[in-house]
Amino acid sequence: MILIIGGAYQGKLDFAKEQFGITEADIHTCADGQIDFSRRCIDKVEAFAACHPDPIGYFEENRAAWQDSILILQDIFCGVVPMGAENRVWRQKTGRLAQYLTREAAQVSRIFCGLEQRLK
Amino acid sequence: MTFFLSGGAKCGKSGLAQRIALSLAGDGPRYYVATLIPTGAEDQERIRLHLEDRAGMGFQTVECFTDVMDCLRYADPRGTFLVDSVTSLIQNALFPAERNYEMDPEGAMRCADSLVQFARTVDNAVFVSDYIYAEPVQYSASTEEYRKILAAVDRRLAGLCDTVIEMTAGQPTIHKGELKL
Repeated sequence: MILIIGGAYQGKLDFAKEQFGITEADIHTCADGQIDFSRRCIDKVEAFAACHPDPIGYFEENRAAWQDSILILQDIFCGVVPMGAENRVWRQKTGRLAQYLTREAAQVSRIFCGLEQRLK
Repeated sequence: MTFFLSGGAKCGKSGLAQRIALSLAGDGPRYYVATLIPTGAEDQERIRLHLEDRAGMGFQTVECFTDVMDCLRYADPRGTFLVDSVTSLIQNALFPAERNYEMDPEGAMRCADSLVQFARTVDNAVFVSDYIYAEPVQYSASTEEYRKILAAVDRRLAGLCDTVIEMTAGQPTIHKGELKL
């Protein structure tokens, strides 16, 4: 599994397309607590984490399904602790999931202003 | 040589940008492109502190609020330009005071194109921007538009500049090129 992380609008999906030949048909964009692992590239994993009660548990249960996936997760970890409980929980769940995924990943790339920084 | 620096608030990017600009300028002319439109006492104080910071460095201040190519009406393109900041230019262009701060995405795109043209035109430039992309916050539509446009120009400048640096608590991470002072 390859994990691509970075802030909003930094070019994470463009990087996946350029580096790994991902096309629109290969992409599942998370908008709720479901992921279609039959697609090669899963975008907005942070949106999945927002909607699923136990995102790490879900990934563990479906471990075999995403071993060859390209996962894209937005960095939402800076700034002050959010005022709203919902955003606080979202940031914590997403952060823990990010740590789990970086442990599991064969490659971790952070995208900064369109440039790759290889973290693993 | 062109440099692009970004990072969070108070991470030392302006200070490093000044040192890079001085090193690039050598004995040649150096310009500080002032981008902040002062709107009150707080801004005047910020400007005063920045002027104090730059005292004795030999920068000529060129005021420019949206179209950075305008600088070249007064300044020598073979000189060294410190543009601090890209953020401020895009903000001025996207929310123009003369249109009562009503959002003007086309104006912001013209500002972005001008920055890219400027980077291609002048001998030496150091661009400073702000990294505002990693917070778990749902912003208003206009703020989201601002982040999107700023990120797009950041990416264009980062693609074009010889060296790209991210600052964290005073420490540079070199994403592209090299930093020699």
